[in-house]
Amino acid sequence: MMRRPRSSTTCSLLAGAVGLLVAMLALSPVAAQSTGEKFARLPIRSDGPKSLDPAKGSTSYDNQVVCQIYETLLQYKYLVRPDSVTSYEDVSEPLLLAEMPKVSDEADGKQVWKFKLRDDVFFHDDACFPGGKGRKLATDDVFYSWKRLADPKYEYENYWLLQDTILGLDEFKEKFATRQPSKSEPNPPPPPPFDYAAPVEGFRKVSDTEFEVILKKSVVRFGWVISMFQTSIVAREAVEKYGDTLGKHPVGTGPFILKNESDWKPGQNMILHRNPNYRTELYPSEATPKEKEQGLLASAGQKLPLLDRIELTFYTPDPVMWQDFQDRKIALVQVPAEYFEKAFVKRTKRLTKEYSDNGIQAEAVPLLDFIFRGFNMEDPILGGYDEKRTKIRQAISLAVDLDEHNDTFYNGINVVYDGPIPPPLDGFPKNGKAPNSFRGPNLRKARELLAEAGYPEGRGLPEIEYYTSKGSNQAEQTQAEIRQLARIGIRLNPKMVDFSELIEAINQKKAQMFGFAWGSDYPDPENNLALFYSRNKAPGANHYNYDRPEFDKLYEQIIVMKPGPERTRIIEQMRDMVIADVPFVGSMARTRFYLAHPFLKNFKPSEDFYNWFKYLDVDASAPR
Amino acid sequence: MWSYVARRLLYSIPVYLGIILIMMGALRLRDPVSAYLGKNATAETALLKKASMGLDRPFLPIGIEDPAEPFGIEPIVEVGRVGFYPPLRTQYVEFLWRILRFDFGTAERPYRSWQFESDNVGAKLADAVWPTLKITIPALVLTATIAILVGLLSAAYRGSVLDKTLMVLVVLGMSISVVVFIVLGQVFGSSWLNGKLGFELFASNGYEPGIQNWVKYCALPVIIGVVVGMGYDARFYRAVMVEETSRDYITTAVAKGAPRHKIIFVHMLKNAMIPVITRIMITIPFLITGSIVMEYQFRIPGMGKLLIDAIVNKDFPIIQTFTAVLAGLFILTNILTDVLYALVDPRVRLA
Amino acid sequence: MIAAFKRLKASRGVGKFCRNRLAVAALGIIVLYALVGGWVALGDLLPGRAGITYAQVEQPVWPTPINGFGIPATNERRVEAARIITREVKRAVNNGEGFTDIRYGLLHILPGTADSDTELDRLSTLIEESEDLYDQLSEFDDLNSPEPPTLDDGAPDPDSIDVPSTIARLEGAVRQMFAPLSGWQSLKQSLLHSLGTDRQGRSNFLRVIFSIKVALQVGIVVAIISVLVGTFLGAAAAYFGGWVDHAVVWLYSTLSSMPELILLAVLVYAFSGSVFDKVSNPWLALVPVYAAMCMEFWIGPCRVIRGETLKLKELEYVQAATAIGFGRFYILLKHVIPNTVHLMFINFSLLFIAAIKFEVVLSFLGLGVKVGPSWGRMIQESTQEVINGIFWQIGAATVFMFVLVLAFNIVSDALQDAFDPKHVG
Repeated sequence: MMRRPRSSTTCSLLAGAVGLLVAMLALSPVAAQSTGEKFARLPIRSDGPKSLDPAKGSTSYDNQVVCQIYETLLQYKYLVRPDSVTSYEDVSEPLLLAEMPKVSDEADGKQVWKFKLRDDVFFHDDACFPGGKGRKLATDDVFYSWKRLADPKYEYENYWLLQDTILGLDEFKEKFATRQPSKSEPNPPPPPPFDYAAPVEGFRKVSDTEFEVILKKSVVRFGWVISMFQTSIVAREAVEKYGDTLGKHPVGTGPFILKNESDWKPGQNMILHRNPNYRTELYPSEATPKEKEQGLLASAGQKLPLLDRIELTFYTPDPVMWQDFQDRKIALVQVPAEYFEKAFVKRTKRLTKEYSDNGIQAEAVPLLDFIFRGFNMEDPILGGYDEKRTKIRQAISLAVDLDEHNDTFYNGINVVYDGPIPPPLDGFPKNGKAPNSFRGPNLRKARELLAEAGYPEGRGLPEIEYYTSKGSNQAEQTQAEIRQLARIGIRLNPKMVDFSELIEAINQKKAQMFGFAWGSDYPDPENNLALFYSRNKAPGANHYNYDRPEFDKLYEQIIVMKPGPERTRIIEQMRDMVIADVPFVGSMARTRFYLAHPFLKNFKPSEDFYNWFKYLDVDASAPR
Repeated sequence: MWSYVARRLLYSIPVYLGIILIMMGALRLRDPVSAYLGKNATAETALLKKASMGLDRPFLPIGIEDPAEPFGIEPIVEVGRVGFYPPLRTQYVEFLWRILRFDFGTAERPYRSWQFESDNVGAKLADAVWPTLKITIPALVLTATIAILVGLLSAAYRGSVLDKTLMVLVVLGMSISVVVFIVLGQVFGSSWLNGKLGFELFASNGYEPGIQNWVKYCALPVIIGVVVGMGYDARFYRAVMVEETSRDYITTAVAKGAPRHKIIFVHMLKNAMIPVITRIMITIPFLITGSIVMEYQFRIPGMGKLLIDAIVNKDFPIIQTFTAVLAGLFILTNILTDVLYALVDPRVRLA
Repeated sequence: MIAAFKRLKASRGVGKFCRNRLAVAALGIIVLYALVGGWVALGDLLPGRAGITYAQVEQPVWPTPINGFGIPATNERRVEAARIITREVKRAVNNGEGFTDIRYGLLHILPGTADSDTELDRLSTLIEESEDLYDQLSEFDDLNSPEPPTLDDGAPDPDSIDVPSTIARLEGAVRQMFAPLSGWQSLKQSLLHSLGTDRQGRSNFLRVIFSIKVALQVGIVVAIISVLVGTFLGAAAAYFGGWVDHAVVWLYSTLSSMPELILLAVLVYAFSGSVFDKVSNPWLALVPVYAAMCMEFWIGPCRVIRGETLKLKELEYVQAATAIGFGRFYILLKHVIPNTVHLMFINFSLLFIAAIKFEVVLSFLGLGVKVGPSWGRMIQESTQEVINGIFWQIGAATVFMFVLVLAFNIVSDALQDAFDPKHVG
């Protein structure tokens, strides 16, 4: 009789497969860890900082992380943010200082800034210090940190912040700079090694906590520079011990620390822990009535930072970040333009019922943005200050419909305005409209101007090479612009390239027309007007290669002028000059919307400064 | 056979040098410095940056210096405008020397990536290999297993409803682009499913090391990879098995009264293993590259993502090292496959 | 070669293929796609009269995104569309511009010029009505789920407007601003709206149809070039042997040693910013993509044909021809290669599929088609919409692509079964 043998092989295979599946499922993490620590997961909308070394950082992404670990002399006030800003004193308060600096003007035009450091600031505990205990902060650290910006080892990436400002610093930098071969000196000797001990006339130490900085002239920018993260104070021992790995191993004075290098997984996330030795810094106790209503004084007087741990997750594709917010995996989120209508009613810019019923908090943060389409003023066809070429640019400006862009791509939440100065700075024209505006769309006028320039209906005008970056939002905007300009007969040849190529094309003056943006480094219009200063031509920030001696003269005036009606008048004059020359089609400033879950407390985001994570708190309903 | 191997290796050397040369040359057609300059850069900054990137040296030992942008090193001897430079200080030869020593950055002699200025290239590559393998190896094993099974069953029950259904499913997987599976997989396989289940089974993106996190982060990409890749293999194996069924020994076995499943799983499988094995061997180098698209969308820090980030950010050290290592691997595996094939199938003669 | 084709047609293989009804049906679908693609391509030659041009595809067919299959949009969207249209018309009236620039698909404002007072009056009245209705609707915070306004004592306000009918009136006013469409035209307009629109209001239907042309273009160019080059090199290598063989083998070993995507990325990078990047000639813009794909794809047919030629070389008729004294090139062209034609066809269809799928992945990564729509770009652009629950773009692109690839898969299977039954893999 034939036995029907069950194939043992099949059975065992099947059993094995089932067992494997069960094992895999069992291994997946089910129970969440509960440590009793208060923590929050926050998103960083980029691949993360490239380096945690303040001297090497330059983008806002670097800023966002560096400022949690390192500190500057001054910081922006978290609460009580005034609507209009004229001077740094309006928005800043001392952080590492005991009091605001005292500024006095000397008879010979120099300016002396007297600083007094706090007495209780210590660096983080780290192996670079004897015994591993952080040392107290002293005057020498400030001078050391700032001298680093002049060290050729860091390629002067951030030296522009202190250029032409501090007495003797430029000469100090030149002493150690590599000299380029020239006619008179075909083989210059190599420079001496950088010596941090070499004196700088403008750095005058009075004691370990008191010092004076002497400026060549009254540079208004300096008041802002001392709260920018690039001027954070670092410890000499750390630099000497870690060298170029300092970017992974920061040693600062701030409320958070990077406990282990492995806590930073590049491109993934970074975990920052509370600094156990942080001095006593308290949550502010003053607020406007509106802020009081929002509950922003609930933690008044408590010791900072309020959280024990923050986990920064780096997101590059937006859909993933949005989904994580929906899943309550991150506590707050910047609302990408594509998802605006999910949470807000586009018409009223208010939260939808669904979201407000769930207690989601929303904040609108206007950005100091200057989004523009620039022209290369040195281009033979499009650039130049003569009538013919200016008219072409004016025609282009009149054909572009920024309101349509705003509606389609930004849900109408951006501010469209004339000129290079964003709201709410000095020089922002009333209601965004400047008297001599060329903002479109006005197709009739555009066609007229184009004809007057000698290209009726665009005939005879060659294709314009238009460089923009590649992101899908940008690509669609570019298509819209091609369409808009085609209406008056102008043909755009778009080159959608990635960001590094875009910069390269601009710096090499290859781009006839380019889509770009500038975020103000600090709330002073001088920062935006610097974009048109002839000395900043490519590879600097003057991407248009704009060059008008009258403008330069005025610019040099406002750098040193104290804020006031006279300065405002000159700023407006400069603005109108630039609008008339049309080196760009503009402008737009974005309003960023933030959402936060109800369990996140003390939520008042800003993009002027980023060190507000220390004020955040979570309540009992937060995920553990 | 050894002469064959030696000859192939010898042939490969100029190939390899050529690949490296072409790749490095093509990269240097465009200048990457602009991408790394800060906000308010000056011409001075640009020059210093270039020097620190090592780009101010000549590419080959023979070069003509552009007076506007002089090289940072001195020539050994100059004949007219052509200079001969110390080979080890030129970009091309220096890199070749690195490959020979397999030195892609140590603590004492760092070879830093441009994007991650505190990290050595070698370390970054080493870190990235493991996540990629955690996806490609399971995907390979699963794809092969399922494809063989499907192929076997289809061939054994050729023409039946089972065969037709399997083939339809398989072709379905092949006809929809992998990117659609990824996009839909992230939405349905992760967010929607997690909502229904009440806990997070599959993460829609991200990565954490450790075997206990495998299901959460790697299972979904593996599933997608299997669905997409299985089609080709299944049809191939089916064809191989069909070929086998017409063989005499199968007829003999049936005549002898051997049970069906024994015929399928023992006889057919064993004899069809040869093409199966060689096909698997061919895919080995791809284990290291990983799927760039998959890793990019799922934000898995593997070799694929590392490479694409490097390309987008013009990080030459990483691109060069990656290509050098990978090309070497490809060449070696190709030779190995040919040899194995010859060893296993005596009918094949090595050319 | 003609004789070779004649022989092919009469061969058993073709007969076998024709008996496979599924394969013939699939071939029919492919022909259908080819016809559509060809018609679209006519747009470049006879713009306006036939086909679809790139400019037409980019034109929004509605100011706000809409759903496919006629599913109505949300209230907020409808109101916003009305607002935008009103704003555009008002601006044109105030600026004294013509209305030729306001087009949504086939909808356009009557070509009344600025001189025609009655026309201007009519439009102004409609604008006023529209703005008035819009203001009434502004009372509500969220028109998608409007809360009925209440009086002070909590009772519903009897004077409150009825949202759905007000919106309908608003849309009616706006619709009257446009010239009425004839039956045929309104059919075309609904066809444009049939698959919904993307975020910019561009018609998914137009874009997916246009992408057929792009896909076919890429597939045909790459497959033909790869097959021809691969066949010729493979046959020559096997037939002539010696250094020719060594050279060809060396060449494809080298190229297959480079990871494809790197080669591609480097090529695309090197080519970018060059003369190929012109919008005005979208045909040229794809050249880097073609080049990169062909560089990898020719290897497959080359290997196969080389293997086949090695076998053919030993056959008697080739030896006979050599003995007679025919030149080697002549033998290659007239005797050897024609006998590999069936393999060429099979490889053509396989490579066609591979090219289309590769293009999708490339465009998805941003490396492929940069100008104009393609299935890959549509899928890439849809990643954000999908999270918002909008599947029109990805659905359209996937289905259209799926059908074509499936058809090709069936056809190439059938071809293999018919012409090369012993073929394995």
